[in-house]
Amino acid sequence: MKSKLVVLLLILSLLFTTVITGCSSETSKDEGTPAETATEEGGTEEEAAADDGETIKIGAILPLTGSAAATGVKLQAAMEVAQEIINGEYPDLNMPLAKDAGLPNLGGKKIEIIFADHQGNPEMAKSEAERLIEEGVVALVGAYQSSCTKPASQTAEQYGIPFVCGSSSSAALTERGLEYFVRIAPNDDMESEMFYEFMLYLNENYDVDIKTVAVAYIDNEFGVHAKEMAEKWYNEVYKDKGFEYLGSVAYATDVTNVDTEVQQIKDMNPDAIFHASYIADITMFVNKYRDAGVTPKCVLNYCGGFQDTQFVVNLGKDSDYFAGGAAFTAAHLDTMPELKFINDLYREKTNSHFDGPALEEFASIMVVADAINQAGSLDSDAIMEVIRNTEFDAPYFASGAIRFNESGQNEISASYIVQIQDQEYQAVWPEDIATSTPWVPFPDWSERK
Amino acid sequence: MGQIIVNGILMGFIYSLVAIGLTLTWGTMGIPNFAHGDFLMLSMYLAFWAFELIGIDPLLMLPICILAIFILGVLTYKGIISRVIDGASLTALLATFGLGMFLKNLAQFLWTPNYRYINDALVSGKIIKLGNIVLGVPQIVAAVGSILLVVVIVYFMENTRTGKAIQATALNRNTALLMGINTSKIFAITFGITGACVGAAGALMSSFFPIYPTLGSLFSTLSLVIVALGGLGSIKGALYGGLIIGLTEAIGGYFLGTQFKYLLVFLIYLIVIQVRPKGLFGW
Amino acid sequence: MVKNKKAIIILIAIMAILPIFIKSKVVLNAIVLLLIFATLGEAWNIITGFAGQTSFGHAAYFGIGAYTSAVLYFHYEISPLIGMVLGAIIAAIIGVVTSYPTFRLKGHYFAIATLAIAEVIKQLFISWRYVEGATGISIPILPRSATFMERIIYLQFNEKVPWVYISLFLFAVVVFICDYLENSKMGYYLKAIRESHEAAESIGINTTNYKLYAMIVSSAISALAGSIYAQYILYIDPFMMFSLEVSMKIVLLTVLGGIGNIFGPIIGAAIFIPLSEFTRMKLGGSGTGIDLMIYGALIVLISVFQPKGIIGIVESIRNRSTKKKGGEGEVEALTRN
Repeated sequence: MKSKLVVLLLILSLLFTTVITGCSSETSKDEGTPAETATEEGGTEEEAAADDGETIKIGAILPLTGSAAATGVKLQAAMEVAQEIINGEYPDLNMPLAKDAGLPNLGGKKIEIIFADHQGNPEMAKSEAERLIEEGVVALVGAYQSSCTKPASQTAEQYGIPFVCGSSSSAALTERGLEYFVRIAPNDDMESEMFYEFMLYLNENYDVDIKTVAVAYIDNEFGVHAKEMAEKWYNEVYKDKGFEYLGSVAYATDVTNVDTEVQQIKDMNPDAIFHASYIADITMFVNKYRDAGVTPKCVLNYCGGFQDTQFVVNLGKDSDYFAGGAAFTAAHLDTMPELKFINDLYREKTNSHFDGPALEEFASIMVVADAINQAGSLDSDAIMEVIRNTEFDAPYFASGAIRFNESGQNEISASYIVQIQDQEYQAVWPEDIATSTPWVPFPDWSERK
Repeated sequence: MGQIIVNGILMGFIYSLVAIGLTLTWGTMGIPNFAHGDFLMLSMYLAFWAFELIGIDPLLMLPICILAIFILGVLTYKGIISRVIDGASLTALLATFGLGMFLKNLAQFLWTPNYRYINDALVSGKIIKLGNIVLGVPQIVAAVGSILLVVVIVYFMENTRTGKAIQATALNRNTALLMGINTSKIFAITFGITGACVGAAGALMSSFFPIYPTLGSLFSTLSLVIVALGGLGSIKGALYGGLIIGLTEAIGGYFLGTQFKYLLVFLIYLIVIQVRPKGLFGW
Repeated sequence: MVKNKKAIIILIAIMAILPIFIKSKVVLNAIVLLLIFATLGEAWNIITGFAGQTSFGHAAYFGIGAYTSAVLYFHYEISPLIGMVLGAIIAAIIGVVTSYPTFRLKGHYFAIATLAIAEVIKQLFISWRYVEGATGISIPILPRSATFMERIIYLQFNEKVPWVYISLFLFAVVVFICDYLENSKMGYYLKAIRESHEAAESIGINTTNYKLYAMIVSSAISALAGSIYAQYILYIDPFMMFSLEVSMKIVLLTVLGGIGNIFGPIIGAAIFIPLSEFTRMKLGGSGTGIDLMIYGALIVLISVFQPKGIIGIVESIRNRSTKKKGGEGEVEALTRN
């Protein structure tokens, strides 16, 4: 009796599995949940949902829940802006694919981004990549955290689907020799070099005499890589240019306070601190720096929490003087009309300006669409051929273009040094794209306005 | 060094503040509440929105936060816990875990996953200097709040009928029932008091801690360890447990590397438990 | 108990035919994950369901298994098939070393100790350079031209179907082990320990030894599941392997299905895993967290309306139809103070 019931129950639950999971892939084909949201918000493409079979699907895997959700949701909004621009008609916007509706070389077909959530978990990133490929996406973008980009892009490689990564910064990603993987963001390797060069520039032009450097990093993939690159560049090049590396302070990913960390940094007393931190931790650090009166000459942040506009909202005037690498500043909006245009669209969705990672994810969609359009087909090898061999026009980046090298890294770095001055992000280096001069050194905390 | 110890003690009081609530429900009802940290998160959001929208300082929100989370605690008991407490073991845990997940994502759904921060509350950013040692005023306020809370709770437990009934129920539920104690009501009140403690913690912490939907997970785990370290159900235990954890983290982290901070916290628990298998003050 | 065996065989036979009908990779992926977590649930059930020692730290053994095979392959190109076995041995040793001093702890104190041990191990792995620390290990993938033999030796398949059979094979072996254990002398001893530690000792059962045996089996099985998981995902890092979430997932799905029953984990996993996959796939793209909200709410609802686990439904139907009480009885894994 009992065994029969158990078996019955098992069969039922297995059926349940099959039915609901099966449904999920079918229904998202029929209804196209992401397309709905896009049409509601965009308003320019009423027919998009109607002629569903005609759209070109691009899969986006992002951390939409969990600890990185704050960033993930912004990246999603940025991608939706890209979708609007590609699908809508914007005759005045001087950008690839903006003027016509859809992709002109494919008979005006529209793109449709299917969003998936990986919750910051590599297992789910892999599952979602497989699901999206099965739903027929022609390319994948994402996945923000490098630990999730790794398995997702491996899956893409297995199935031969192009993966254009926007903002994951781990240098290891492009060292794996994958054929179907490219990355737009500058990696932490390039950022580290930029930081040292910027300090040399400060020493030459502003007479601040920055000598000693320390790194504060979150103890995960992102932080550890950033630290290793900072050490690598120091040992290989900048040791001989008068810098001194004092050491590093690592802190756990789920940190409740940074008292001890700040105390260690204070005891080291470095001239410059490199920070590889997320928004929650960097907020705690800045507060503790203020309370403990830590005044280095400059603080440079890897792509992470500092670039989130919430940094300024949360910290107010305390956020001034902090600097870091970024691909976006609001200060460029006046001189870059294309950027201003997309930034306005983005603000309608999020009530905040673009930030570096969001702009890079925006670029990833533009690159994918541009490549499909230039290839004139949905064949993944043809698309990959275009991605590998084309210099893409990117008027929304200060650098103006995107070109991938052998390993798949975008070699025209879109990143430059920004600093917060009077609670605005200003580009301060290199000089040709600067909107303001750097503020150095840090004043004493009590002397801040 | 003095600074490190002071930092450790201040942080320890904050841990105690969060853990005190948990020790009561856990000790009395035998349910480790995995949604504990998420109650804290809700209280902090309440304080944040009151500040952001109406401009009420988090400190003034203290009574409202206490009351709100007290009610939430009672409702949680009535709606969920009372129905699972007699089920198979660990079912209650399943329920609190589900509740925690629900609350975390409810917060994201309602208020976006952005990191919020109150940077110009009454006590924000103020410091006191004692020689070389810097003390943050918000942390001091939280520490004082923590001590007051312990005094109030201990007084309540020792000197009121309800408090004594809670203790009796904690010792033996069936006997308490036979003695005419309405254990269901006692459990509801215990859950409410737990909520009130976390509510207070949330209001006090909101003036110096970033506020975001998933902040609860981290405090949930630490609170579980602190309570087990101090002894289930022991308020004094939670207080000392918090302090030990705070100091371990600060001093150990400073000398062994801050990435090992939490490793030491868990290690301390494993060591203490070898000497005192029921925690420092457990019975 | 012959009936139990029959039910197991029918169950496994059904699972074995499934891939013939199901072509969707999404569903097959859910089945693989389901089987891996059901295996973990069975392992956890031995120490908690049978022996009554609640573990909140089974992710530790899961992670050690995954890391052993992955590291051996990554550094020395040793086949994961060998790595799996070594992983199981290492996990069993660590299980014994860490459990021996903690077994004298009662109830919740033991549970939190297992949680603490898992966290300590996680922190150590994050800082351990040899296992690539926080960066995690990307398992080198075989070239597309790899032969079938190579794929078996290095346990890598691009298709889902082999994975279904690999995980099903492990699950089947584990279920039979559990069934055997449950009805062996050791199984009865463990249940005696669960019901009353003191009574078990008074009748001459060496409780510590039997709990250790249970731990050895439990941790070794978890490690095997870990190795398979690592080869399936092809990437591991300490945060995903040793997280409290993994430990809790194991606990929750077993409790959901029915603790102390060998069918509990598979029933729990068959509901839990598809449910989480489904809510995420259907609603996760919205970016509002609504998928996990619904998921959390469903967990609460299930526990409120079926506090004895899904197996409780089976039992109550059985009790009603046969009009007799007793049987498995309910598990009192945590002694309440």
